[in-house]
Amino acid sequence: MLLTTLILGVVLGGTYALLALGLTLQYGIARIMNLAYGELTLIAAFLLVWAFQGLGLSPLVAILLLAPAGYALGWALYTLMMRPLVKRSGASGRLEVDSILATFGLLFLIQGVLLLVFGPNFTSISYLDRGVSVLGVTVAANRLVAFGICLVAGTALVVALARTRWGLTLRAVALSPVSAPLVGINVDRAMRQGFALGSSLAAVAGGTLAMYQTFSATGGVVFTMKALVIVIMGGVGNVGGALAAGLALGLVETFVATAIDPGLTLAATFALFLIVLLWRPEGLFRRR
Amino acid sequence: MLEIADLSVRYGKHTALDGINATVGAGEMVAILGANGAGKSSLLGAVGGRVKPASGTIRYKGADLLALPQHQLVEEGIALVPEGRGIFPAMSVEDNLSLGALPRRAQAGAAQRRDEVFALFPKLAQRRAQVAGTMSGGEQQMVAIGRALMSAPDLLLLDEPSLGLAPIVAQELFAALGRIRAGGLTVMIVEQNAAATLALADRAYLLEAGRIIGAGPAAQLRNDPAVAAAFLGGAPAA
Repeated sequence: MLLTTLILGVVLGGTYALLALGLTLQYGIARIMNLAYGELTLIAAFLLVWAFQGLGLSPLVAILLLAPAGYALGWALYTLMMRPLVKRSGASGRLEVDSILATFGLLFLIQGVLLLVFGPNFTSISYLDRGVSVLGVTVAANRLVAFGICLVAGTALVVALARTRWGLTLRAVALSPVSAPLVGINVDRAMRQGFALGSSLAAVAGGTLAMYQTFSATGGVVFTMKALVIVIMGGVGNVGGALAAGLALGLVETFVATAIDPGLTLAATFALFLIVLLWRPEGLFRRR
Repeated sequence: MLEIADLSVRYGKHTALDGINATVGAGEMVAILGANGAGKSSLLGAVGGRVKPASGTIRYKGADLLALPQHQLVEEGIALVPEGRGIFPAMSVEDNLSLGALPRRAQAGAAQRRDEVFALFPKLAQRRAQVAGTMSGGEQQMVAIGRALMSAPDLLLLDEPSLGLAPIVAQELFAALGRIRAGGLTVMIVEQNAAATLALADRAYLLEAGRIIGAGPAAQLRNDPAVAAAFLGGAPAA
């Protein structure tokens, strides 16, 4: 029982961690709190289902294509929508409020398009849905594959941020956008890259979710909120914290669903969120 | 090497700089002296791309600096150490120095330059893994200057490097600046500590209320009674 919860929780938490990583990158590097983040994951989820059912494309191949497509979409969104906000706000600190309002609008725009194109019904695919035994616990193969994708993508990103020149550049902009030009960093470009990278992660997370979860065009806000809960639990802009908090949320949800009632998972998520906000607003893993 | 002509900087209605003309030759160390609010930092900020002038020109090796974005200046060989240092406090000393070597011009020879920085500031070598924000003010200033040197600059801009430092730490810092100076690097420095700066510099400009009120070789200014009265605490420097 405990082992089952643990394994299922970690597997679910993997997707959550990746989901949160994208949001924390967008906020940490580009300083944009993207309330339409869940809708970006939904676009990817619907595209994966369409590619699988319509074109017969393997979800794994679809996810490989969704990653660069998400990057391109993020790039375009930043250029068309966020850049004017960034430029206008300057050093005034208005960007946070402006970006929240703008992406709140974007949420409904994307939702409307999704409803129009894909309809209001719940959607899912059946892909690798046989059970696999992990330490005696039966886990659906699609969940394991999804977990594997999140593990690979998350690890690759963490290593790239920690070890490469590019990662150093993005971290520098996240820590101090004012000082970054002193070492020759083009802050505008780095912010655009950070936002695009976050969108790419949203796309990968959305694709993996679609492999095993049922979803609908109006469910994006739940993904955004979950990602936000994880980001705040992990400490805003803290990549390692987001990964750990994502896994933790997966565990909590699975525990509540199995031990108490599946209907209470969302309530448990937000109870956790309130507790963190009240007692550890700087996150569970304080930096410095 | 650096030619500033008719430079004016305004913040709203306030004129911080009014028609400044100044030059810095290759290999020179030029000091900008003046009281608080005289416009020293505005002048250095304009050269370093942090402050947008209202009018005037800044030419560096013949190129128009004001046409370039701030981040491009490092690539041109201009490194600014701003007032307040501008380091990345949450990163290690090592990462701060690595960031200094990010520009394309600095990537070749970065390891050798790091050794030179460590030779100049042995404390940084001992504490390379320490988070920069946990260091003392003097050590953070070393990180800032070290990082600027990592970018292989031709022109180093220093804004109040000794500000807020204990006298003995400031003395140590000026000794390091002396060694940087001896290496032949061109330096433009803004400082409150006029005596120590004039002892190092070749020339100086005296700034008051946004205008240049005097200029000349540092040795001459040190013995000028008017300068002594205004900037050196009354008595001519020894």
